[in-house]
Amino acid sequence: MSLATATPPAPSAPPPSSPSTIAERAPRRRVSPERIAAILTLGAIVVASVIALADSGISIPSMIESWGNAERFFARVGTITFPEPGELLYLTALTIGLVLCGTLLAAVISVPVAYLAASNTTPGRGWQAFGRFVTVLTRAIPDVVLAMVFVLMFSLGSLPGILAIGIHSVGMISKLFADAIEQIDEGPRLAIRAAGGSKLQEFTSGILPQVLPSWVATVLHRNDINLRGSVVLGYVGVVGLGMEMSFAFKSLNYSEGLGIALVMFALCVVMEIVSSVVRQAMLGGTPSGRGLGDRVVRGVQNARARGRATAVPAAPRPASGGDLEAALRRPWDAVRIRNTIWGWVALAVVIGSVLVCNIQWGDLVTFWAKIPAIAVQFWPPSFGNYDAATMFGAMAQTIGIALAATLLAFVVSVFVGSLAARNVAPNGTVRTSMRLLLVVIRGIPEVILAIVLIVITGLGSQAGTLALAFGGIGLLGKLIADSFEEVKSGPERALRATGANRGQVYASATLPQGTRALIGHSFYLLDTNIRAATILGIVGGGGIGYYLLNAGQGSNYAVVTAIVLMILVTVLIVEGIAMWMRRVFR
Amino acid sequence: MSTPVGNEDPAVIDVTGLTKEFGRTVALQGASLTVARGEIVVLLGLSGSGKSTLLRHLDGLETPTSGSVRVLGQEVPRLSGRRLRALRSRMGFVFQQFDLVPSLTVLENVLTGALSELRGPRIGLWSYPRRLKLAALGHLDRVGLLDRAYQRADTLSGGQQQRVAIARALMQNPEILLADEPVASLDPESSEQVMSLIREIAMDEGLTVVCSLHQVDLALSWGDRIVGLRHGEVVLDTPAEGLSKAEVMEIYGRVATSTTELEAIEVELADAATDAASEPRLADGALRS
Ligand SMILES: Nc1ncnc2c1ncn2[C@@H]1O[C@H](COP(=O)(O)OP(=O)(O)OP(=O)(O)O)[C@@H](O)[C@H]1O
Ligand SMILES: [Mg+2]
Repeated sequence: MSLATATPPAPSAPPPSSPSTIAERAPRRRVSPERIAAILTLGAIVVASVIALADSGISIPSMIESWGNAERFFARVGTITFPEPGELLYLTALTIGLVLCGTLLAAVISVPVAYLAASNTTPGRGWQAFGRFVTVLTRAIPDVVLAMVFVLMFSLGSLPGILAIGIHSVGMISKLFADAIEQIDEGPRLAIRAAGGSKLQEFTSGILPQVLPSWVATVLHRNDINLRGSVVLGYVGVVGLGMEMSFAFKSLNYSEGLGIALVMFALCVVMEIVSSVVRQAMLGGTPSGRGLGDRVVRGVQNARARGRATAVPAAPRPASGGDLEAALRRPWDAVRIRNTIWGWVALAVVIGSVLVCNIQWGDLVTFWAKIPAIAVQFWPPSFGNYDAATMFGAMAQTIGIALAATLLAFVVSVFVGSLAARNVAPNGTVRTSMRLLLVVIRGIPEVILAIVLIVITGLGSQAGTLALAFGGIGLLGKLIADSFEEVKSGPERALRATGANRGQVYASATLPQGTRALIGHSFYLLDTNIRAATILGIVGGGGIGYYLLNAGQGSNYAVVTAIVLMILVTVLIVEGIAMWMRRVFR
Repeated sequence: MSTPVGNEDPAVIDVTGLTKEFGRTVALQGASLTVARGEIVVLLGLSGSGKSTLLRHLDGLETPTSGSVRVLGQEVPRLSGRRLRALRSRMGFVFQQFDLVPSLTVLENVLTGALSELRGPRIGLWSYPRRLKLAALGHLDRVGLLDRAYQRADTLSGGQQQRVAIARALMQNPEILLADEPVASLDPESSEQVMSLIREIAMDEGLTVVCSLHQVDLALSWGDRIVGLRHGEVVLDTPAEGLSKAEVMEIYGRVATSTTELEAIEVELADAATDAASEPRLADGALRS
């Protein structure tokens, strides 16, 4: 457009350049104050991370020492044992059922929340602010904290766990769901409006079918996360494998504790594979490769494709020739059979989950009455017997663990992630082995790893930091590799054409294009690690979590409120900084 | 200007002095248009001349800055909520991009055309009454796609998808059919097919049609009346019969203002002169470049 518009010939052309040097005429490089501030903040965070890492006492000698600890530990434990099969089976079913119920609850709640929060469906600005507030708040309060509160309100059982998981998961699911709604093709929705459809009909017929795949994928992904997190819920009194494990460790029955941890590991891996299979079955197509499960599905698919000749998809052809009555009967083609089977299986799983949880529905009626009595115990917040310095120190330690773990993970991830990127790796073998390494790391639930490491090495925060860093490599390394593979290949080709070597191409073309993603992903990891570091304290990893658990078990609810507020503020600050960084380094 | 407003048959569409501004852009500038029942009117105009904006006003998808939009005896901008939806349900709208829900079956897409006569949300084929399903299948048969009823919408070709969209519009039992460049994303052959389908249905059902098009050829062969828009103003309003492509282009030339526009028209004129059955997309491409 601007090209087509003819600009009138400029009568006053710029005066011929006066005899001055190019350096004088060149415009000054301008950096906006905001960018400077962001760079300084980033620098400060890096320095703080380095200090935290130095303080954490992680060193080669201490690792050797912890290796020694581990050897002695295993000598003492002897063999790993499991609970008796019947009980193990029940506990496993209970854990899965509880997690599924919680995730489903969140999935249902997240629909209206996302509807309010998405800019193209929200009924008004006030409603949108409310939706966003719910999203941020539910995400910021750790599920462990919710579980502690709910355990107080309900007679023991599965309800506290379900509600804690359900409420906390609303944040992530509705955030991603709202993002998906904002990215839909508006056309079908407009077509329904033009046909006279109501707002609700626009949503259910024009929007929902478009976002359903991403919603299902998000819910399944969240379910994996919740299963991993359910172990920690056991430490605050939610029934299931986690609680059994915490009992075992507390009663120094290490062989059984480790046995349950092993079961938990296996369960996480199996669940990832199952959810990937379900995703694939419901959505069709090949999974794009998030984690271990997707890889397995892809592998099976490839093997099957190799095994048979390309099948010709038979187009379903119902009776034609004007016989509308006959056409009314939908043919039972492969797709319909598959969908029906999956539908019934899903229904059976949901019903099974609800049954195994043995929910005390009566509690849902009675607990409202208890809220006022319990609420007054939580308010006003106070540090109780602890002095403020101790508490702030503990919070600082938690932040320190998160920073140190993020820094460690970052350094290793940039290396591993780069080599795992197709356009950086020197050859296919290196790339494949690095990708595989990342997949294996991601398969291991880090909090369970932390619990085991802490128990085995007896080294509280150090073991926790290492476990978080380890898990972080799996996440960050993959994200880095993916974003490096997504950079435009043009600049790299251009540089290679100038005769630049591999390292120069990486430094001048790949890295600059990937910087923004690198910063964004690192903050995402920091964000995750702050929450995880809080939880670490609860399982013996030091920091604020320890005081949180103590306060909860000692019924010092005012202290619980104070600590939760501290965590909330920290999480919100980190999230705010992360959003700011993503905006500035765009 | 010959605007056949029969006294005994009041105009179904009556737009007077319609102006629409988007910030500083003036999309429509005092546009007026009267359409009698059963007429097939084609809106012609270069890109950005306001065709889509005018059509969207007729369906109440846009609020005018000033002017009046009367459709089926009702002042559209005054309506809202249930009454606006009721009026919309009497008008079918066919879009350039078909705008089917890709993951739903063809049949369910057609059924969404009937949402306004149903209360509440509908998810899945089973949630529609049998009566409507039969009607939808009938409309699919009408557009020649009955055998595709249970296929996903995104597995159809562009031309087929547009025919599904027409079936969806028919589902409303409309009195008016609005179509915004219904064939702009289609190849010449599918374009012919879709346009003749629209004309055929309009004749059979006595529909009033307002359809915007880019291609002068198509406009002349399928419209009763040609309405030309330029910069949001109606600059041409004449029966299509006996009109030649060159004449239409000449009228364009007389009102063209900027040099770039004149050049674009010259290209199209030359194109028309060299080959009567020229490929429309070619001229279109020249216009856009
Ligand atoms: N929602 C909107 N916001 C701002 N400007 C708009 C909007 N819709 C249309 N316009 C402007 O109004 C003018 C007319 O647009 P319109 O879409 O009606 O043209 P058109 O004749 O349909 O063009 P085309 O043939 O390219 O579809 C254009 O300048 C366009 O940029
Ligand atoms: Mg248009």
